[in-house]
Amino acid sequence: MGEAQRGLLSVIEKLKGSTEQEVRIVLLGLDNAGKTTLLKSLASEDVSTITPTQGFNIKSVASHGMKLNVWDIGGQRKIRPFWKKYLENTDLLIYVIDSADKKRFEETGLELSELIDEENLKGVPVLIFANKQDLATSSPASEVAEGLNLHTYRDREWQIQACSAVSGEGVQDGMNWICNNIVNKKK
Amino acid sequence: MAEEESEWILESIVGYLGSPEWVIPVSDFMENKCTVFDDEDENKLSYTDIHLQYKKLVETLLGNYMQEVGINEQQFLDACTSPFAKTKTLQSVFQPVLATDDFQMFRSLMVQKNTELQLQALSVIKEMNGALPECLTDGVDVMTELQDQEMKILQEVLKKSKDEYDKEMSRRLLLEHKVGSSSDKRLAESSKAQNTSSAASQPSGAAKLTSRPVTTDERQTLARAGGERKSAAKSSSTSKPSPDCGSNGVESRVLPAVRPPVKSGDPPLSAGSREQSSSLTPPEGWLEEAHREAGFSKPYTELSASQQEQLQQRAAYLRQQRDKLHALKKEQQKPKQTIVPEEAPAVVTPEISAEEKKKLQKRKHLADKLKEEVIKK
Ligand SMILES: Nc1nc2c(ncn2[C@@H]2O[C@H](COP(=O)(O)OP(=O)(O)OP(=O)(O)O)[C@@H](O)[C@H]2O)c(=O)[nH]1
Ligand SMILES: [Mg+2]
Repeated sequence: MGEAQRGLLSVIEKLKGSTEQEVRIVLLGLDNAGKTTLLKSLASEDVSTITPTQGFNIKSVASHGMKLNVWDIGGQRKIRPFWKKYLENTDLLIYVIDSADKKRFEETGLELSELIDEENLKGVPVLIFANKQDLATSSPASEVAEGLNLHTYRDREWQIQACSAVSGEGVQDGMNWICNNIVNKKK
Repeated sequence: MAEEESEWILESIVGYLGSPEWVIPVSDFMENKCTVFDDEDENKLSYTDIHLQYKKLVETLLGNYMQEVGINEQQFLDACTSPFAKTKTLQSVFQPVLATDDFQMFRSLMVQKNTELQLQALSVIKEMNGALPECLTDGVDVMTELQDQEMKILQEVLKKSKDEYDKEMSRRLLLEHKVGSSSDKRLAESSKAQNTSSAASQPSGAAKLTSRPVTTDERQTLARAGGERKSAAKSSSTSKPSPDCGSNGVESRVLPAVRPPVKSGDPPLSAGSREQSSSLTPPEGWLEEAHREAGFSKPYTELSASQQEQLQQRAAYLRQQRDKLHALKKEQQKPKQTIVPEEAPAVVTPEISAEEKKKLQKRKHLADKLKEEVIKK
């Protein structure tokens, strides 16, 4: 894509002329982590009939005077190669982890570290949700952070937040962090 | 000064967005790619690539246009964000442009287009076979909610567009009446005109277009449509005595793009035969698609007779518009020529005037809006 063309697209972007600030958020993580459940609970929708995502879902959520366009892409192994296509112009990454699935901490940590290296996510803040805290077998957020080597991420803002997408606990705290960080970044 | 500039630039942009240079490639793209777009909540991965292709198409088209007219991106932006651009109607004209940056909007445009095509394909099948083939009515489970919804949408759209449709019909009738020639004479005129205009450089294209036969269903529908208006316009009192020919006469009066009766001795229109009618079916994909989406058969057969009739009428009209668009495209591909004289094309050729095009666009937007509203519920 040539420079001039890129320019034209960004012109069209400005055409929308909405006064609201729009934010693009991408929601990623392994299959079964709870991404779609989280997305639907953010949009105040029913979370009882969710099936594994084969493609992607989008919801727009109003928060702190902003319009958050949240993209939830399927996490199955065969879908992960497609993640790259959704990263352009992303303002923030939410990475969801099933805190009860210790066996896959390494796998999910690897996927995250690969994502972080993507050019399109350079410097983009990351919120990690240590999900499924309602389960007795879940690890606390600190353990998840350790399992993922989060302390090695020095090139951007990041935060880990314990939550349960099912009960909603902790979700709002995460959203508050997001909005504070977006506002800080953009203004 | 700057304001004036914005004003003419905006006018030019809007003109471009209503012109065949824009409308044809964009609607071709949508028609070709829309079949995978369904109304499921979840998006398919393939939508993303199609959206990307769409962005590229729009970038290319707009880029070329801007270069041709000699405006830069800043001027474009200024014009499109000027107060003049803020009206509701203009906002809807910009929808296909904004859809490059708004996946959700793009998706809803594609879903609407798909609905439109499926309904058309369905009525084409019905028309060709007299009824839907068994494979379409058998073994398919009951009408899903979606199909139910789509029927509702269709009915809404039909209702809304009927007015304009009627207007168009009577306008043409009037026009034809003014010309006041018999169908034979008109045929002569028409071939003459074709020779001098579109047929000259695109013989096969033009021939295909004008030889588009009329199926029985269509003929009846049209005859009826014409009949309703007959008394008002008093134009068909000279029609041939036999009822069949009579309706043909009326039909050619009402829909100039359709050929006059069998009698004229022009081979391609020797009859509204089944095989020939396949030449007016949309690109292959449609039928296949309709088969695959076999569920759509149900709602159609469950319609009341008058609803079916409405659908037929609308389908015939839509196809006709489509033919015109294709003809227009052919026209576009030729080296630019002087504009064809005003009165000739109205009677003879498939060209549409700028005004008609605008009307068509408006109608489309109206229908789209409507569908969008209904879908959103
Ligand atoms: N107990 C509990 N279960 C959860 C929670 N969040 C999600 N789940 C369950 O985990 C399963 C997977 O959830 P999804 O939202 O489909 O997971 P996903 O990340 O979207 O999975 P893919 O679409 O395959 O990528 C479902 O059965 C959810 O009900 C949670 O906080 N607590
Ligand atoms: Mg999912």
